[in-house]
Amino acid sequence: METLKPRDAKDVEDAVRAAIAGEQPLEIVGHGSKRAIGQPMATNALLDLSALNAVSNYEPNELIITVEAGAPLADVKSLIDSKNQQFAFEPIDTSGLLGTPADAGSIGGMIAAGLAGPRRIRAGGARDHLLGAHAVSGFGDSFKAGGKVVKNVTGYDLCKLLAGSWGTLAVMTEVTLKVMPRPESERTLLLRGLDDIAANAAMTMALGSPYDVSGAAHLPGSVLRTTAGPLGEIGAPDQALTFIRLEGITASAVHRAASLAARLASFGKAEILEDAASSAAWAAIRDVAPFAASGPRALWPVWRIVCPPASGGKFGQALARESQGEVVYDWAGGLIWAALPPSADANAKILRQRVEAIGGHATLIRAPEPVRQAVDVFHPQAAGLAALGQRVRASFDPKNILNRGRMLRGAAT
Amino acid sequence: MSIKMPEPDQAVLARRDEIVAALRKIVPGEGVISSAAEMIPYESDGLMAYRQPPMVVVLPDTTKQVSQVLKYCHANGIRVVPRGSGTSLSGGALPLADGVLLGLGKFKRIREIDFDNRAVVVEPGVTNLAISQAVDHKGFYYAPDPSSQIACSIGGNIAENSGGVHCLKYGMTTNNVLGCEIVLITGEIIKVGGKTAETCGYDVMGIITGSEGLLGVITEVTVRILQKPETARALMVGFADVEAAGECVAQIIGAGIIPGGMEMMDKPAIHAAEAFVHAGYPLDVEALLIIELDGPGVEVDELISRVESIALSCGSTTCQISVSEKERLLFWAGRKAAFPAVGRISPDYLCMDGTIPRKQLPLVLRRMKEMSEKYGLGVANVFHAGDGNLHPLILYDANKPGEMDKAEAFGADILRLCVEVGGVLTGEHGVGIEKRDLMPEMFSEIDLNQQQRLKCAFDKDGLLNPGKVFPTLHRCAELGRVHVHGGKLAFPDIPRF
Ligand SMILES: Cc1cc2nc3c(=O)[nH]c(=O)nc-3n(C[C@H](O)[C@H](O)[C@H](O)COP(=O)(O)OP(=O)(O)OC[C@H]3O[C@@H](n4cnc5c(N)ncnc54)[C@H](O)[C@@H]3O)c2cc1C
Repeated sequence: METLKPRDAKDVEDAVRAAIAGEQPLEIVGHGSKRAIGQPMATNALLDLSALNAVSNYEPNELIITVEAGAPLADVKSLIDSKNQQFAFEPIDTSGLLGTPADAGSIGGMIAAGLAGPRRIRAGGARDHLLGAHAVSGFGDSFKAGGKVVKNVTGYDLCKLLAGSWGTLAVMTEVTLKVMPRPESERTLLLRGLDDIAANAAMTMALGSPYDVSGAAHLPGSVLRTTAGPLGEIGAPDQALTFIRLEGITASAVHRAASLAARLASFGKAEILEDAASSAAWAAIRDVAPFAASGPRALWPVWRIVCPPASGGKFGQALARESQGEVVYDWAGGLIWAALPPSADANAKILRQRVEAIGGHATLIRAPEPVRQAVDVFHPQAAGLAALGQRVRASFDPKNILNRGRMLRGAAT
Repeated sequence: MSIKMPEPDQAVLARRDEIVAALRKIVPGEGVISSAAEMIPYESDGLMAYRQPPMVVVLPDTTKQVSQVLKYCHANGIRVVPRGSGTSLSGGALPLADGVLLGLGKFKRIREIDFDNRAVVVEPGVTNLAISQAVDHKGFYYAPDPSSQIACSIGGNIAENSGGVHCLKYGMTTNNVLGCEIVLITGEIIKVGGKTAETCGYDVMGIITGSEGLLGVITEVTVRILQKPETARALMVGFADVEAAGECVAQIIGAGIIPGGMEMMDKPAIHAAEAFVHAGYPLDVEALLIIELDGPGVEVDELISRVESIALSCGSTTCQISVSEKERLLFWAGRKAAFPAVGRISPDYLCMDGTIPRKQLPLVLRRMKEMSEKYGLGVANVFHAGDGNLHPLILYDANKPGEMDKAEAFGADILRLCVEVGGVLTGEHGVGIEKRDLMPEMFSEIDLNQQQRLKCAFDKDGLLNPGKVFPTLHRCAELGRVHVHGGKLAFPDIPRF
């Protein structure tokens, strides 16, 4: 396969124009860290954006950073970290889950995948932090979406579409992101031994409190039997862990942790994890460490299920029991990572029926290629919405040049 | 009136009686208004300088009726303008002479309150404030709080992606909506999202939000609600010059503090507000900041003292800290009444709405002062200082010939300046008709074409709210054409491996 490595946005335009002329679909990659996610594609050339890696403008006091799409996420994170700022949506690092090199991944990929971590319940997702972009559409034209200020409603909010579009609408060449202050301190309440339903209730109570919870996750005991790293160290085998995070200035985090612990007393006595211990645990939760490719469930397909949070516990418990699989809860029950024993369709059919019944949807994040070939990786939508989605896609890329078929099964030909 | 609307379709106008009769079949009783006198309240929205009676007003009260009305209009090539409460400041709900004005005012029910999932399902005509009131007994509220919240509808909020003084910390409408039901111009009903944090597939919810009634009619909305902070306190800080106030805002943010609200007023706005509400504003300062911190008491107390010392180090000349809820509200009273207060000192005013990078504030205010002299019109500034969203209020008298045109030209110059310094044309009020012809200042033809292609995916005949947002309309067939550029040589001149 041919790899093109554009030096600038103009090169990207030329590449897309040539692809249109030659009717050759392109696979768009930043660093390629998430290539294993999505429907297998029918592309025969690779557009590698890693040379577009400059930080164009960083203004901490304006809460914005403008970077080229191929810039390494790790570098940009350490840059903003040096000014005590962060991407508040806590982008997940999929390398552990997918078994790809650690710390790889580009800014463009982070936005295109839109995989937000635990703080999504408080701070929103990638979509909420993409303020502006320059991108090349499937018409071969560079266009601008949004702006470079934190508040803007001028014209359609095209940024919302670009975030989470997995490179199927346009090739982002430069993005402007909102950066937020990094909290001074964090405290995590740790409850032990709750079953999934009780944990879901505790997390619901926490989110319904005024204590501004920024993370609420639950790991059933069976998961901890085989989990290494920070989570394994905190947990005892077969004893479930429930984590509830509070962030802010130290006095506030301490106060809220104590108040919330009192409010949750009926669920048990909470231990409190402080700063470094807390953040190590949350990084492992964010990256779904229990299902790491280096662990015992390496061969199990992994689903990312988004559902109404208060329904999560009951749903996840039944799913784990009946499929002999394992689940991990984030977003107070609104996000369930499920690792299911291998099967030809990764249990897609039954899983999706059940998810739909509670008003949720499921994406197959990890599975071998033949499985991803056989099932819908992204949740199938109702006919009207699906058709609208395809018209939206065609309005950016009518010739289906960009990441052809990545989000829609059967569209790869 | 300097904005040109699309030419009315004479063939449609000629069929008016037949159209009214057909609409009455879909929406019986008082739901169809066709007499000139009864249509007067619908002639304009919050941009009151512009008026236009619609061909007919329809007020459906079910999604099915909305669907049938749109389907009929689509089949008959009739334009449709959606309307919520009609408080838009950019003319988004201005009727068309040959158009159906589709009012959502009867969609007033709160369908479901789900405290466990922190979600409320409402009809689009419910007011912004009514949502907070409905969940207040359990300590919850809906965060985005436009100053018009008593009147404006949640459907209108979605269509405009409205903001408010709390959106620096809690986000705009788009960050607080979970799902919606929309009806396309074809009558097709589409549901997006629900009680989940994320929707699946392309973010259609995100593109509907802020689409100013051009993509679909919103018939149901699911919003997320939050617990109210335990306490809130405010500081009122005066500065001898605008630079120092701007520096203070930058340093607060730089210190990692995101206040619940951070507002700035310039001298004319301070004087107008003080004369109106007697909030105790200092009259000898050039800029006044109102900074609110919210959260648990220990946090608020600590941050108040950090902000106070930043203000002092930036040279504040006065600094008052609220010690009671009554005093906090008094600090806000002047800011909240700034628009009507300015209304008292001037027969008419235009409310502008641009965003700038905050560091450009001194320059922008200086240039605005020069423009004010050039045009011979006064200007007062209120400013969502935390996020750089300016609201210059241009003072004029519509009864003086030519003054309104002058005020509009002044306003356009201000918005051009916003773009020139790296900002945008509108931070929360929308483009509508007001800023429509300025869109090319911010976007190239290619940018605008891409936006209009998206419109084609929803409404290929351009029947929903035409004449708003885009200065020139192109046919979808023309926009959808892919041009093959250059020679046949695949991938010329790009490094390859
Ligand atoms: C005194 C005053 C203060 C204000 N303060 C603020 C503020 O602080 N922040 C702010 O952001 N705005 C503010 N506004 C502007 C205005 O209130 C908002 O834009 C509001 O969201 C408009 O809501 P509405 O229901 O009145 O919509 P309308 O004015 O009726 O319509 C606005 C637009 O939305 C479309 N629309 C309305 N309902 C629907 C629907 N159901 N489906 C599809 N399209 C629809 C219309 O076609 C139109 O384009 C203020 C206005 C006034 C008069």
